[in-house]
Amino acid sequence: MTIDLTRRAFLGTSLLAGAAIITPDMALAGAAPAGWTLGVADVDADIAQETLTLISGRAPEGLLTTLYRNGPAKFRRAGGEAGHWFDGDGLVRKWRVQDGKATLAARFVDTPKRRLETRLDAIVQPGFGTAVRPGAVVTSPDDTNAANTSVLVKGDELWALWEAGSPAILDPESLETRGFKTFRRDLKAMPFLAHPRIEPDGTVWNLGGGGKATVVWKLNPDGSLAKAEVVKLDRNSYFHDFTATARHLVIVLQPWVAEGQKFPVSTSMAWKPELGTQVVVIDKDDLTRQRVFELPAFSFFHLGDGWEEKDGTIRFDGCLEADPTFGQRSASALLRGEHIKGPSPIMTQVILRPNGKAEMKSAGFSAEFPTSDKRVAGVARRFTTHVANYRQTPFPHAIANWDWEKGRDDKFDFGDHQLVEEFLFVAKGEGERNGWLIGTTLNLKERRSELHLIDARRVSDGPIASWRASLPLPLTFHGTVA
Amino acid sequence: MKQFKSIFTAIAMAGATFSSVAIAQDGGASLTIAFTGIQTTEGAVMGAVFNSEEAYNGKGAPVRQIMVKADKTEVATQLDGLAPGTYAIKLFHDIDGDMKMTTNPFGMPIEPFAFSNNAPGNMGPAKWADAAFEVKAGANSHSITIQ
Repeated sequence: MTIDLTRRAFLGTSLLAGAAIITPDMALAGAAPAGWTLGVADVDADIAQETLTLISGRAPEGLLTTLYRNGPAKFRRAGGEAGHWFDGDGLVRKWRVQDGKATLAARFVDTPKRRLETRLDAIVQPGFGTAVRPGAVVTSPDDTNAANTSVLVKGDELWALWEAGSPAILDPESLETRGFKTFRRDLKAMPFLAHPRIEPDGTVWNLGGGGKATVVWKLNPDGSLAKAEVVKLDRNSYFHDFTATARHLVIVLQPWVAEGQKFPVSTSMAWKPELGTQVVVIDKDDLTRQRVFELPAFSFFHLGDGWEEKDGTIRFDGCLEADPTFGQRSASALLRGEHIKGPSPIMTQVILRPNGKAEMKSAGFSAEFPTSDKRVAGVARRFTTHVANYRQTPFPHAIANWDWEKGRDDKFDFGDHQLVEEFLFVAKGEGERNGWLIGTTLNLKERRSELHLIDARRVSDGPIASWRASLPLPLTFHGTVA
Repeated sequence: MKQFKSIFTAIAMAGATFSSVAIAQDGGASLTIAFTGIQTTEGAVMGAVFNSEEAYNGKGAPVRQIMVKADKTEVATQLDGLAPGTYAIKLFHDIDGDMKMTTNPFGMPIEPFAFSNNAPGNMGPAKWADAAFEVKAGANSHSITIQ
């Protein structure tokens, strides 16, 4: 049998071979692609529900939990490819542990972007790092919505979140897309970040749109709109995330600033470290009450929940980078199978003093995807879960719980052959960390995705239960536990 | 995506200048325009008819303005006395009846809009070349789907 390595034939063969394919460009480049490229491979079809294979341990008695995760899973089509990791079509995964068994189903969010690009068999819609191409149709921000960044369950709806447009509404069981969420008619197509801050009672705070004005969203625990107000900001900063304490919103304005509007979005932004980083603290009850703190320049994607001490000191952590090389260049190069090593994100605590001074305390190691026990969102907490041990690849190999009080990391390294995604906390009993961490990995050796449960108090012991899917899925960004 | 603003700015301008425009009655052409695909049967279809690229691009006035009650999924209007020539139409569905293209707080249109030839707006209004159509002497018809 001869193998025809033309692009069309390669795609055809891959379709027969399975759900995930490696970029044809890479296969044709001659060099053996690094194993990690499986983490940014394409998926061509929805994944019907399957029962996972238990590979070690066993599920805790009576545990019923669903881990929804979202991430880009379609970057390449015959007529053109996405220019950035952030621009692939969102594939929502539903991992469920029930009656000692685990299942997986996954479905692409049925967006106008995906429909158009499927019809054209080309990536044409502009994005964070993807240029606008012939055939693009953009009449609303939601025409470019990739719905690929996170998920949130509210009422009987599962929202697939992006950051520059509306949440897409999915059925939480079938994962079928029902359309975009409009919270109120006059707020149609307003941006809604993929990083809402959720109070312990379910109240949602979120922002929409960077730049000199952002909308502050407040949703009731049932997901209905409580208020939406536009707040003016001093600089055109890019933010993917923000944080909050019980009383305040905390918006970090890095000096990665937009200069005009063009596509790809990332090319419209300049890194201006001389401006430093500003932190704006806004009273949740009166959005006009604002304080601004000044810090040396840093870039970031992700922050942890914040809290406030008795004297008014505000603390939050984040994974802070010296500059935005990752978002500007590395995340595009990933899709070409290249690893451009930029500054590592460093686990850091930011402290805002009542006297107006701000300081930073580095934990001294690289980390990403910070998460914590949502029961203590907005109030003092001690632990931050994070991925770690990147070594010489663009993706991490370990999961850990960092203890801010003891300065200790409780860590489990899955090994070089495993790429580790964000882990989330599932509560069991009273007390921070009393529960499990649930998360997924991509096993490069087995070429399969895996689901793991870890005792949150004994991370270094490794998983108490691990299951394996029948196929590999590319890496996700964020998820939620329901 | 500030370009979106120019869509309704043009239509708003059409309204502002409407009263000062002497409607040409010298033409021997009529144009029946059907508006289809109306999803919310409330308010009105508001439109502006242009006979030059310059006017269409905001540097001149429309020759006609359209306002048709949108009480069915398909409605129509007829323009009489047009001079034969090339025309293009910008329109929106004024669902809330405030005579304006309603936008969200960031200036994005939240009411449906469309252009003649069903030319797609793409990061702004459809181009004149895509929206322009011929009106000949006698009876003409044109259909626009409002989405």
